Amino acid sequence: MRKFWNLLKKETKELINAQLIISLIFTFFLFYLMGTLAQGEMAKAAAPQEIAVLDLDSSELSRGIMNGLSSANFKVIALTTEDRQSAIEQARESGASLLLVIPRGFGKSVLELNSMSIDTYYFIRGFSMSATSASGMVKAVIATVNNYISDTYIKERLPGVNPEELKNPVKNKDYVIVKDRIAEGSPAEVSSFILSQSTFLPIILMLIIVYSSQMVISAVAMEKENKTLETLLTVPINRNYIVVAKMLSSGIVGLVTAGIYMVGFRFYMSGFMGNVPTSGQIDTVVQKLGLAFTPQGYLVLGVSLFLAILCGLAMAIILGVLAKDLKSAQGLLMPIIFLALIPYFISLFSDFNSLSWPVKVLLWIIPFSHPFLASQNILLGNYLPVFYGIIYMFVIFAILVFLAARIFSSDQVLTMKLQLSRRSLKGIKQ
Amino acid sequence: MDAVLKVEGLKKNYGNLQALKGISFQIQKGEIFALIGPNGAGKSTALRIIATLLSPTEGKVEVLGHDLRKEPEKIREKISYLPEEAGAYRNQRGVEYLRFMANFYATEPEETKEFVKRGAQIADLGERLYDKIGTYSKGMVRKLLLARALMGQPHLAILDEPTSGLDVINSLEIRQTIREYVKQGTTVLLSSHNMLEIEFLSDRVALIDNGVILDSGTPKELKEKYGANNLEEVFRRAVI
Ligand SMILES: Nc1ncnc2c1ncn2[C@@H]1O[C@H](COP(=O)(O)OP(=O)(O)O)[C@@H](O)[C@H]1O
Ligand SMILES: [Mg+2]
Repeated sequence: MRKFWNLLKKETKELINAQLIISLIFTFFLFYLMGTLAQGEMAKAAAPQEIAVLDLDSSELSRGIMNGLSSANFKVIALTTEDRQSAIEQARESGASLLLVIPRGFGKSVLELNSMSIDTYYFIRGFSMSATSASGMVKAVIATVNNYISDTYIKERLPGVNPEELKNPVKNKDYVIVKDRIAEGSPAEVSSFILSQSTFLPIILMLIIVYSSQMVISAVAMEKENKTLETLLTVPINRNYIVVAKMLSSGIVGLVTAGIYMVGFRFYMSGFMGNVPTSGQIDTVVQKLGLAFTPQGYLVLGVSLFLAILCGLAMAIILGVLAKDLKSAQGLLMPIIFLALIPYFISLFSDFNSLSWPVKVLLWIIPFSHPFLASQNILLGNYLPVFYGIIYMFVIFAILVFLAARIFSSDQVLTMKLQLSRRSLKGIKQ
Repeated sequence: MDAVLKVEGLKKNYGNLQALKGISFQIQKGEIFALIGPNGAGKSTALRIIATLLSPTEGKVEVLGHDLRKEPEKIREKISYLPEEAGAYRNQRGVEYLRFMANFYATEPEETKEFVKRGAQIADLGERLYDKIGTYSKGMVRKLLLARALMGQPHLAILDEPTSGLDVINSLEIRQTIREYVKQGTTVLLSSHNMLEIEFLSDRVALIDNGVILDSGTPKELKEKYGANNLEEVFRRAVI
């Protein structure tokens, strides 16, 4: 055990080098910076927007419209000029992004139910995110105006009637059903919750698999490149320990690295999403539907994740033995990244159940798919396929470790690269 | 006398290539025994097999009575191996490397300290022992690796071309080190293609060529037998 610790300590130290730390810090700050920038833009977009209004009508209705806009969280700047050209100039100088022109006779004509148009001028001053919300802003302004006018009309003609009830006579109550559970709640909110849960997990998983595989593959390749492997293999320690120590240290460092990236990524994402206060209801709805991860659910998912990571590590260690040096090891990592990317993208853009049979089988064969599938299946309460997946990954892992240990205790660990290069040489001659 | 190492009819094939065609020799306790021969003769192959890195195709190897095929772990406890082309972890300091390796052989922390202390003496790198190995010269790395191999006073030290790639001064220092520390009870099996330097270092030598041992004995015996002035001449006459 003392010997194993000795080995594990050294392996971990080898992995945590200046290069890793610098790239970690760099990536983290990049995410952080982008997140903060995005957040600033979002804040700008959410702040009350300024609208310049040229009221040529000066009727009770047009004044009411201006008040209506103010109470709908727009900042109204009333212009005092008479002609459009100078109104545009004034609006430009005021910095408002929208100019509204209410024409003469607007109030009278509208109350007689002759529709009349309001002209809007939108100033595009840049291409930032707040600028792209232009059409949304114009729509909101017009909707506010229309609402105000129709309310006024109804109040005038049908006193005693609540305009709200007249305009929306039908009210609906939403229910969502998952398996045999029913809860009152909005289907849109529930499905966006599931999506946010099942996109966040795959990203973590992807990162961990890629990082830890990269760690272990370079750990083996570095021993080869620095010519330390031969010495290490004559040391009195069980060869399986060498394999396990490399896998364990890479797993741990990969996990920590991925964790740090995730925190950075969270910053980045929350910058875009804004800290949107989700209606407190969604939590209780989700709980009622059994869509939240229970402690057991987390445990099963954890086991699934862990096995996927182990499969990645075992594959990487075998590939690392094949590699001549660090550089070729990085190239050999591509198949693993690919294998992890396939289920990642499929889980992002499609639903497993709607896939065709060949694709389903392909996904099943890739060990990394199973945690992706598990995260959705566990939420939906389908535990059986999750357990099958765990058994499958375990079998694959056992086979891979057996292979890795076999390679490490055979001639191949030292001669593999030679055989490969000989074969390729023969190929050239023929 | 006890044989530390017994090799009988050892053969090794790499695919179709016969690198060792059935070699036999024995080394007694306290001896410095050298396999000498040109590049490609099969020296490294033999040493790697004895160091439990490669499996023999045929034949028998015993280290202190432990069979190579049955008890490789037991053998690893008794030996230390210096590969022909070896490096050390570049991010470790010299002293860290010695401690890391000593931990595998020592049974308690006190013993580790003792090993590291002896290793530091053998390496003789002064203050540089506390620098990163990445900053060492080739000669310094080789000295560190040799110190690593000898510090635990193994029953059998297997040194593959211990002076390979080194200049005259560094080679001389390494030869002196080996001779000094072997006095303390270690048995040494080494290899070299430099037949002149071996003459002054070894108690007994075996001439190997093309996977076959041509002859063996003390340098003095061999020179008399072939009527030669040095081992290089001996080798030339033995080949014919
Ligand atoms: N891993 C290997 N695969 C195939 N052939 C090898 C391998 N290692 C050594 N050889 C061949 O075996 C022969 C003996 O090599 P080696 O033991 O390294 O000789 P020496 O150490 O005496 O120079 C050489 O012909 C060499 O090309
Ligand atoms: Mg050699």
